[in-house]
Amino acid sequence: MFKLDHKLIIFSILASATISFAQIVKKPDIAGGVYYPIVGDQTHIYKVNPNAYGLKLYKGRVPTKNELKAWDKDVMPDGTGLPEGKGSVEKGEELYEAKCIMCHGDFGSGGGGYPALSAGNAYEVHETLKNNRWKDPEADGPIRVFGSYWPQASTLFWYIKDAMPHQKTKTLTNDETYALVAYILNINEIEIDGEEVDEEYVLTRDKFLKIQMPNKDGFVPNIDGKDGVENVRKFFSNPKNFGAIKVKESERCMTNCQKASAKVVRISGEGISDFHPPISVERSLPKEVNKEEKKSNFNPQKVFETNCAMCHNGEVAPGAKNKGAWAKFIKKGIEKVYENGIKGTNNGMPPKGGSSISDEEFKKVVDFMLDFD
Amino acid sequence: MKKLVDVLKKNSLQKTQEPKLTSRREFFKKTGTLSAIAATAISPLTLKGDDDAIIHHPEWGQVWGDPVTKNLYGMPSKYEHNNTRRYTKLLASGNYRASIAVTPIHESEGIITPNGLFFNRTHGGVAHIDPKKYRLMIHGLVKKPIVLTLEQLKRYPKVTRIHFIECPANGGQEWRRPQYNSLQFAKGFMSCAQWTGVYIKTLLEDLGLKPEAKWMLAEGSDSSEMARTVPIEKVLDDAMLVWGQNGEALRPEQGYPVRLLLPGWEGNLCVKWLKRLEFASEPWYAKEETSKYTVLKPDGKAIQHFYANEVNSTVVSPSPEKPWTDLKDGEIVEIEGLAWSGMGTITRVDLSFDGGRNYVEANLKGLVLPKCWTRWSYIHKYKKGERLLLTSRAMDDAGYIQPTIDEEVGMIGVEGVYHRNAVETWEVTENGEVNHVQIRS
Ligand code: HEC
Ligand code: HEC
Repeated sequence: MFKLDHKLIIFSILASATISFAQIVKKPDIAGGVYYPIVGDQTHIYKVNPNAYGLKLYKGRVPTKNELKAWDKDVMPDGTGLPEGKGSVEKGEELYEAKCIMCHGDFGSGGGGYPALSAGNAYEVHETLKNNRWKDPEADGPIRVFGSYWPQASTLFWYIKDAMPHQKTKTLTNDETYALVAYILNINEIEIDGEEVDEEYVLTRDKFLKIQMPNKDGFVPNIDGKDGVENVRKFFSNPKNFGAIKVKESERCMTNCQKASAKVVRISGEGISDFHPPISVERSLPKEVNKEEKKSNFNPQKVFETNCAMCHNGEVAPGAKNKGAWAKFIKKGIEKVYENGIKGTNNGMPPKGGSSISDEEFKKVVDFMLDFD
Repeated sequence: MKKLVDVLKKNSLQKTQEPKLTSRREFFKKTGTLSAIAATAISPLTLKGDDDAIIHHPEWGQVWGDPVTKNLYGMPSKYEHNNTRRYTKLLASGNYRASIAVTPIHESEGIITPNGLFFNRTHGGVAHIDPKKYRLMIHGLVKKPIVLTLEQLKRYPKVTRIHFIECPANGGQEWRRPQYNSLQFAKGFMSCAQWTGVYIKTLLEDLGLKPEAKWMLAEGSDSSEMARTVPIEKVLDDAMLVWGQNGEALRPEQGYPVRLLLPGWEGNLCVKWLKRLEFASEPWYAKEETSKYTVLKPDGKAIQHFYANEVNSTVVSPSPEKPWTDLKDGEIVEIEGLAWSGMGTITRVDLSFDGGRNYVEANLKGLVLPKCWTRWSYIHKYKKGERLLLTSRAMDDAGYIQPTIDEEVGMIGVEGVYHRNAVETWEVTENGEVNHVQIRS
């Protein structure tokens, strides 16, 4: 059925000068909504130029093989795009402690606004997905981490390679990525083909393709295979499936629509009210903050604690006031240290540590770190 | 205080006289101080005598304003500095790089969000792209792939549409209880703008889409390489590549120079800083369509590929930020709000004064467009000391109606995070203050 539709599209693209887009989607909208076709020179109340369709306009050029290779780096569940390579859990742990731990915590425990990468044995944590604090708000909620929730491991390889470490992405080699994936499988206690991914495990492409995630079948509708798109359409054609209600306008409830037991639930305490800037609808002039005053209010130690200490703790990066650890940096001269800090480095230092302070202020924080008494 | 009384007295004495200008200098001194006091201490509502703001020439009325050479890119009045995006630590990750700053809906006028106030959600920070180095690649199951520069892309026939973009986590912190006493945070994960770009189907006409192509990957060029899978049907319907936002280039926060726009669908699907579209016969499983942006139901199964933002509405005036504390008994006041649906066009908004037990019909106002903010209005006579529970409920032309909280939670539980569109309630207290509450049994 769907194929037929596509033939129709292709046919009209190739053969007709003005496509009637109305032809394309005769079925209900895939997302459960209304489809507004272009009819003549109009769609809904918008006018269109019907002569602007069905044209041959090719305004660019064909990408070269190397260009395609450079950009087409995504990894699909069937292994499309997954490079050859290998990495051990041991190497992964080393890399994790050098490049990831400052944000994702010990053993991927997360916290402080950074996602956890594990919550323990994936097969056990998977059971929590049925927890729902609907009737008992104090009950335990579901735990959604890589091991318990993600349907495919391909996502992990692809995402780490493209988007981590967060402050300097696309810096990991394929082997490093395999090692980090192996380590994350290890802390989630995931088995591959019945085999534990233990400390000695070496992950390869072949082994990777055998990973079956515990929550592989945890998602609806089934988007895979030749019926994928139709499954989605079917799913959204039933409002109950996604928590929606349809009603005829004339039949909507206008009186006595609430249950007798309905009650007013209030925000508990202040609720979330930590807003920046604080909420105000005042229309008076902003308070002039004197530049001098602002300068004297600048507290390098405070900035260090909120912006730098997470990494500059003596493990990931040299700690404050640790003369020995800073020696090899200072050798290059202080100006170079400032410059590297401001621009960021490939060894994991984000530009200005990810803060938004001025260059001068940044230098003050560095001075604070290098104040060895 | 004494001084203020003197000033007032002086004002009434001067009532009928034109101010005598003894010297320019003295005049400036006098009006300067007078208007400063008037602005801070005297509200025109409580003033018994003449209003100084009328009797005296204001400063700005007698001297030169700025030359046209100043502010060649205009800025809002300096008095409007509180009309701004806001953020909170709760929604901060990655040093505010995987985070959101939300739109001040309570100050919004009409259906267009000014570019500087459009909500800003990023996964790796706001990227700043050099337009000269911008490239868009379209490949995969097409007969002839293509690379385009920005200038080449802009040569295709243009389309301009007004659509909202909404983060599907709008209201998502409040599944279990109300949390924000603020319209900006309760509903401000969305904005609405006029977008200009090209239909993707126009581009595809000479690329020759192959019949087995069922899904499109859209990928950003920012540090997070935000990627999402889109069904081909949306691509061939109203999906656009946009570069224009309210008559100017997209702001960096909205994906300058080019973003994907899937009208009515999750903001996260409308990939910013777009660099690549690939067509395939199988879907991708990107991080933001597995780990996140999936809706976990009580049976432990999660909805993946949840596309459209469903019908929704809110009362904008009054709101917790803009209460009715200054209203007089018997004063006629407009209750105003917004309604929107990613499934179609708003057909109806009803308003309840008792938290959703009984409803009356409100009026739609202005342009009523598909997948677009729609204004609605109800004229009310305020009774001093009355306590109200204001609940709005919208319908769209796909036939959907906003569920009650009980109805939505009954079907989908409270762990879904995304796509919450149950009716919302403001309590108006006896003093005219406004609180965010929920009505549930
Ligand atoms: C500077 C802090 C930082 C560092 C260092 C970092 N990450 Fe992340 N990571 C983040 C943030 C922030 C997110 C969430 C991004 C988002 O919300 O889109 C994240 C998300 C992830 C996720 C997805 C988690 C989920 O459940 O959705 C994975 C996997 C991950 N990081 C792996 C790594 C690995 C492996 C490393 C080391 C190579 C690393 N990260 C280093 C900040 C960091
Ligand atoms: C995400 C982790 C992280 C954060 C946050 C961070 N740093 Fe760093 N920083 C590093 C790492 C890793 C290095 C490099 C260590 C190495 O090369 O061995 C580094 C190196 C430096 C250097 C030396 C640069 C050079 O090569 O000479 C300076 C200076 C510095 N950081 C200052 C700061 C300051 C100031 C802050 C806070 C405002 C900060 N850093 C925040 C991780 C971080």
